[in-house]
Amino acid sequence: MAVVGAFCVSVMKNACINAQYPGKCATCVEVCPYQVYALDGDGQVSVQNFNACVGCRICAEFCPGNAIRINSAEPEYITRALWTFPTVEEIHHKALTGQYLLRGFGTMGPLPHFDSIVVVPSQISSPAPRDKYREECKTDVVIGEGRCDKPLHLKLPIVFPAMSFGALSREAKLALAICAAQMGIATNTGEGGLVPGENYMANGYADAERTDKKWEPGGYLVMQWSTGRWGVSVDYVRAGDAVEVKIGQGAKPGMGGHLLGKKVTEEIAAVRGVPPGSDALSPCRYYDAQTADDMKRMVAFLRDVTDYQVPILMKLGPSRPYADVKACAEAGVDAISIDGAAGGTGASPDIVTQGVGIPTIACIPPAVRALKDLGLHRKVKLIALGGLRGGLDAFKALAMGADAVGFASAAEIALGCRACMACHKGECVYGITSQNPRLRARLDPEEGATRLRNFIHATAEEIKILTMLSGHTSIHDLSEEDLRALDLNTAAITGLKLIGYEKRLPWWDN
Amino acid sequence: MLAVATALDVKDMDLRAASAAIKESTGSETLEIRNAAHLHGLCAGLKTGEYDIIGDAGDYLGVLNDGATIRVTGNVGQYVGDNMTRGLIVVEGSAAYGAGVYPYGGALVIRGNAGDFTATMNKGATIIVCGDVGDEIATYHLAGDVVVVGNAGVNFGNYMIRGALYIGGEFKSQGHNTRIEEITIEDVQKLRRYFEQFDVQADATRFRKLIAETAKPFYGKIVKRHE
Repeated sequence: MAVVGAFCVSVMKNACINAQYPGKCATCVEVCPYQVYALDGDGQVSVQNFNACVGCRICAEFCPGNAIRINSAEPEYITRALWTFPTVEEIHHKALTGQYLLRGFGTMGPLPHFDSIVVVPSQISSPAPRDKYREECKTDVVIGEGRCDKPLHLKLPIVFPAMSFGALSREAKLALAICAAQMGIATNTGEGGLVPGENYMANGYADAERTDKKWEPGGYLVMQWSTGRWGVSVDYVRAGDAVEVKIGQGAKPGMGGHLLGKKVTEEIAAVRGVPPGSDALSPCRYYDAQTADDMKRMVAFLRDVTDYQVPILMKLGPSRPYADVKACAEAGVDAISIDGAAGGTGASPDIVTQGVGIPTIACIPPAVRALKDLGLHRKVKLIALGGLRGGLDAFKALAMGADAVGFASAAEIALGCRACMACHKGECVYGITSQNPRLRARLDPEEGATRLRNFIHATAEEIKILTMLSGHTSIHDLSEEDLRALDLNTAAITGLKLIGYEKRLPWWDN
Repeated sequence: MLAVATALDVKDMDLRAASAAIKESTGSETLEIRNAAHLHGLCAGLKTGEYDIIGDAGDYLGVLNDGATIRVTGNVGQYVGDNMTRGLIVVEGSAAYGAGVYPYGGALVIRGNAGDFTATMNKGATIIVCGDVGDEIATYHLAGDVVVVGNAGVNFGNYMIRGALYIGGEFKSQGHNTRIEEITIEDVQKLRRYFEQFDVQADATRFRKLIAETAKPFYGKIVKRHE
């Protein structure tokens, strides 16, 4: 790989000390062994030979005015492949601090995702397309129908997956609850206990006595039962409209929730029962369940505690989707959320977020197959989570066999997040993942709920457009036939028909 | 109206039927429950009442207990008193793996021995084991008291961050982030109060106390990226 001319060297004259006081500083000239910089007769520094720059950045490091920028002329992943500048910096960080990188948000970088799948519109050989503007499209989903006394009647096939109070601010949690009430969908407490007001607001009431119904039609709150069991009591379990047993999550399957001490304020500490400022690290597994049999018993007593009224859900990380979903369904739950590797998190070791777990599009087909093998597909609902960005991704997940989808990262972005990946620091400038009162004041729950509502509305409209142009009037009629894989790889891992070939690949049953 | 039943045989019942029968029979008197060893998650989430389980009990006995008093004459399975918030559970026999995990309050007394991972993530309950306990007792102990009259296995109090552990016998190894403290007169008084309240025969003065070394065992030093 040629190194000549691989880097652009720029000196910002307004920050350069030499540009303002010629002769006073020539650090770059001194430290560069390749004569990239030179002094002219007046003592001015100039970049005389940037072709000689090898990208060592010693000049930038020593420059007292911080005026030098070295940029790769070609993208570094082409010119330097393994050893890009961020990789070098990461190793330096570890070498200096002895610590691995920790960050929030979710998986960044190339993973097989919904982008390599296209939607197949309807023409003459299949039922004609439906008119989105003048005809109706059925979008409601019922979780727990015929399996418990109070199933969840969701108006849209959308839920807000678990994000804990602690990871998220109180304002963000309430915005999610209000939006759920306005759109008739479900939100989730996450593992950090119940935010006061979350339960009745999610049902559409503005007061705890449930007299003033402020938001129609009213949604649902799923109470998460997790491995840290923060703020959990029998009243907590009974406070919501469903209980979700968390086994794992997409961003860090095999690890528990990770709330850094900086975000553990007095309020969070009181709900969770940890000292303020101490990291709240949830265990990676249940201390009160070791086997699939124990899980079965856990689901049974949760049903008993909630008087067999509400649905019990289970949330899985992306590990072995077929076997895991089968075990979940056998434990007797009403719905299974499967979170793909592209799922989000408040804080996780970078390597786990980046390198652990099965991508979302590869989780759904085995999960559907497991439910079909048990004869429970569409009876036990499948909720697809993990890096879904809008109606197009949602439609693809639904057509692949999911009954509903979840938007967590996308919901945060709808609230104002700009995906800076610093959720773990607790200094979210939009007040979403911060516990700092000054920053939290920037987010108003009702205003946030309006933004979320608009996002969910637009997404639902997108799902309807795609459903109707593929010739269906209900999201329940969608099937794999409405999708095609764009490349061999996607066709191989999803079992969808490959474009052009118009058949599934040979190792899938045709 | 018939008098409130005080005895209940749950031999041929499943959990749902047994649970309904228990709720129906709960009165002012103590309810005796017999043949409950096959049921897992019995007496879950009860807020009042007194229950005597004659014989052994299954797993998850008294899970989410929020005020009931439960006594067991025999042994119990795994995870007795799981996630308890109030109330009292007394086991005359021994308990298996994970007794008293995730509790926020209340008291759990085991007169026999208890297994591994007893009192894990205790957030405020009082847990007393009169016999020996297994390994990894009181892992990630967040608050409350754990009293072990007998011996303990390895990693006693591993990564505890608050609360106190009292042990009358020996332990194979001390967990990370724990420190052995001199037992004070207040501790002795507290232990005597517990022993009197729960009818335990032990000499409070010969106990040793373990507390957390620091409340922030995972708290890393923040170092700036190099500049």
